[in-house]
Amino acid sequence: MNLKRIITLFWRDFRQGARGFLFIFSIVTPIVVSLILSLVFGTIFSGKPRLGIVDEGGSELARRAHALSSVIVKDYDSKQALIDAAGRGAIDVGMLLPATFDQDVRANTETEIVVYVWGESLVKDRAIIVTVISRTLRAMLGQAVPINIVTETVGTAESIPWQERLLPLVVLLAVFVGGFLVPATSLVEERQRRTLTAVSTTPATLGEVFAAKGLLGVLLSTLTGLIILAMNSAFGTRPALLLLTLVLAAAMATLIGLILGAVNKDINALFATVKSMGILLYAPAILYMFPNIPKWIGYLFPTYYAISPIIAISRDNAVLADVALELGVLLALIAVLIGVLALLSNRLKLREL
Amino acid sequence: MIRALVTKDITLFFRNQFFAIVSVLGLVAYAAVYFLMPKTVDDTLTIGIYPPEIPAVFLEETADSGIVFVPKDSEEALRAGMSAQDNEYNVAFLFPEGWVRTLALSHALDQDVTILFTSDFPDELKEAYVVILEELSYTLSGQTINISATEEVVGQDLAGDPLAARERMVPLLAMIVLMVETMGLASLIASEVEEHTLQAVLTTPVRIGHLFLSKGITGVTLAFVQSALLVAVIGGLRQAPLLILAALLLGSILVTAVAFLIGSSSKDLLSVMAWAVPVLIVLAIPTFGIVFPGATTVWTRIIPTYYLVDTLHKVVNFGAGWADVWQNLLILLGFSAGFTALGILALRRKYR
Repeated sequence: MNLKRIITLFWRDFRQGARGFLFIFSIVTPIVVSLILSLVFGTIFSGKPRLGIVDEGGSELARRAHALSSVIVKDYDSKQALIDAAGRGAIDVGMLLPATFDQDVRANTETEIVVYVWGESLVKDRAIIVTVISRTLRAMLGQAVPINIVTETVGTAESIPWQERLLPLVVLLAVFVGGFLVPATSLVEERQRRTLTAVSTTPATLGEVFAAKGLLGVLLSTLTGLIILAMNSAFGTRPALLLLTLVLAAAMATLIGLILGAVNKDINALFATVKSMGILLYAPAILYMFPNIPKWIGYLFPTYYAISPIIAISRDNAVLADVALELGVLLALIAVLIGVLALLSNRLKLREL
Repeated sequence: MIRALVTKDITLFFRNQFFAIVSVLGLVAYAAVYFLMPKTVDDTLTIGIYPPEIPAVFLEETADSGIVFVPKDSEEALRAGMSAQDNEYNVAFLFPEGWVRTLALSHALDQDVTILFTSDFPDELKEAYVVILEELSYTLSGQTINISATEEVVGQDLAGDPLAARERMVPLLAMIVLMVETMGLASLIASEVEEHTLQAVLTTPVRIGHLFLSKGITGVTLAFVQSALLVAVIGGLRQAPLLILAALLLGSILVTAVAFLIGSSSKDLLSVMAWAVPVLIVLAIPTFGIVFPGATTVWTRIIPTYYLVDTLHKVVNFGAGWADVWQNLLILLGFSAGFTALGILALRRKYR
C-alpha cells in the first residue's frame, strides 16, 4: 500500500464523485428526512388539537389561548382564511372573535360566536378545544377554580417521544446511505467503464483503489452522521468517543459498500441488492421505534452494533465501559468484512487483469 | 408490430433486476404496510374516575362530546385500570368521597383532587386533562358562562366515524407505485437511447409513431395494472370501481409522459434517478396534504397529481361519484395530454 497513490486516487474519486447525483443525494437525503421528521412529529403528529382564531378586536381570549400548551393556536386574517384552513384540515376548530367580544363577555350579556369545525377532525380534539376555550373564558371572567388539583404518575414505563425513537433510523440512513452507496456505485461504474482495468495497468494496486474509495466513503458517512447528530442536538457528553464510534460505523458501511460493488456487475444489480437487503440494514433502527419489542432481537443484526453505541453515547451519555462490548463486536465485524473484501479483491483482480 | 414492441419492452423492463424486484416486492410491501396499520381511530378521551358519583345523564352527555368517564368502585380498581395488563385508560381522576354533593352545595372542594397519569403519558398532553377536570368541577359546582357557539362543519362531518390513517394512505400508496413505474420506464427509454437499439429498430418497417405508441402502451399498462392491483388488494375498489380505474388510468398516462421526459434527458439509471427524484418528490407533494391534513396549502393545485390523489381520496374515503369529481378528471386528462405531447416531442428530438 502506497499512501501517496491512495491520496491521488482518493482525490480523483472525490472530484468525480462530488459532482455526481449519489454524492449529493447521500448528504441531502438524511438531512431532508431529519427535517421532515422534525416537522411531522413536532407539529403534525404532536397529538394536540389545532385552534384557528380570527381576532377582530384584540381579544384577551386570543392572547390567553396562545399561552396554552394543550392546543396549537394559529392566527388568521379573515373569516374566509379561517374557513379555508378548516376546509383543508390545517385546524380542527376555527373561531371568529368579533371586535366587541371581550366587552360582551365581561358585561355577561348573551354572546354568540361562530366556530368552524373541520369535518374530519376527531371528536376528542373538538372536545379539548371547547373545554380549553370554556376554561379560558372563565379565567377572563375571574371565576375561581373550585378544586385544587395534584398530579401523580403511575407505573415505571418510560415515555419516549417519536422524534427520539426515529433518531436511530435517521442516523443509520446518514451513515449507511453515503457510506455504502458512494463506494459501491463508484466501484461498479469503474468496472462497467473498464477504468479499473486501466488503473490496474499502473503501479496502483486494487487494494489501494479500495482504500481510496473506502476513505471517501468513511469521510462522507462520518460527516453526514455528524451533521444529523448536530441537527438533533445529540452529541452527548463524550464527543471524542462518539466520533470514534461514528468512524467505526462508517467503516462498516463502507466495507459493505465495497463488497457490494465487488460482487455486482452493474448498477441495476447493485440497486436490486441494496433494495433487497434494506430491511437487514435498517431493522435495528425499526426496533428502536417500538420499545416493547425484546431488545435481544436487535443483537441478530450486524448494524445493531453500529447504531446502538452511537445512540447510547449521543442520547444516554454512555461512557466507553458502557459500550465496550458492542464496540468490540463492531470491530470484529469490521475485521470479518475486511477479510471478505480481501478475498473478493483477489477474485476481482484475476477478472479485471 | 406494436404488440411485439410492447412484449419486448415489458421483457426488458423485468430483466432490469432493480425495477423487477422493486415492482414485485413493492406491491407486497405496500399492501403489508396498509394491512399492518390500525384500521380504527381512537376518537375518544377515556378517563377513569373514582368515586363513581357523576350523574348518569352527565356521563352520557360528555360521552357524546368525546369524553368517556369510566367509573370504578374502588381506588384499587381505578389504579388497576391503568396497569399494563388492563390498559383501559392512561388518565384517571381520583376525587374525595362525596365530592359531587360537596361541589353542588358549597361550590368548592377543600380536599385535593388527584389526576393519575401513566408514566409513559406524554407531558405535552397533560394540560388538556387538567383543563377537563377544572371544567368538570366548574360545571358540577353550577358556575356558568353566558356564551353560546354556533357550529358550522366545513366538509363532510365524520364525527364518531373518523378516517383511519391507513385510509388516508391509499392515494399515497397508489402514487408510490406510479412513481416507481415512472423511474422504470424512464430507465428503459434511457438505456435504449444510449445503446442505440432504437435506431436499430427504426431500420425495420417500424415507424417512429409505432415506437411512441408501444412505449406508451408499455408504460401505461405497467403503471395502471400495478396501481389498480394494489388499490384492489387494499379494498379501494369497493366504491365506484370504474371511477377509480378511470382516475388511475389517467394517472398512468400522466406518469408515462413524465417518464418520456425523464428518459429523454438521461443516459443511465443514475441520471434517471438524478432527474426522477426531484420530479417525483414534487409530484408526490399533493399526497402529503391528504396523509397529513393541513400540511399543504392551495398552491398544490398547480401540481397535476393533485387531481389524481384528490379524486382517489374523495371516492375511496368519502364515497364521491362522477358528478363530484368530473372536473378533477377533466383537468387530469388535460395535464396528461399536455405532458404526453411534451414527452413525445422530447423523445422525437432525442431520436434524431
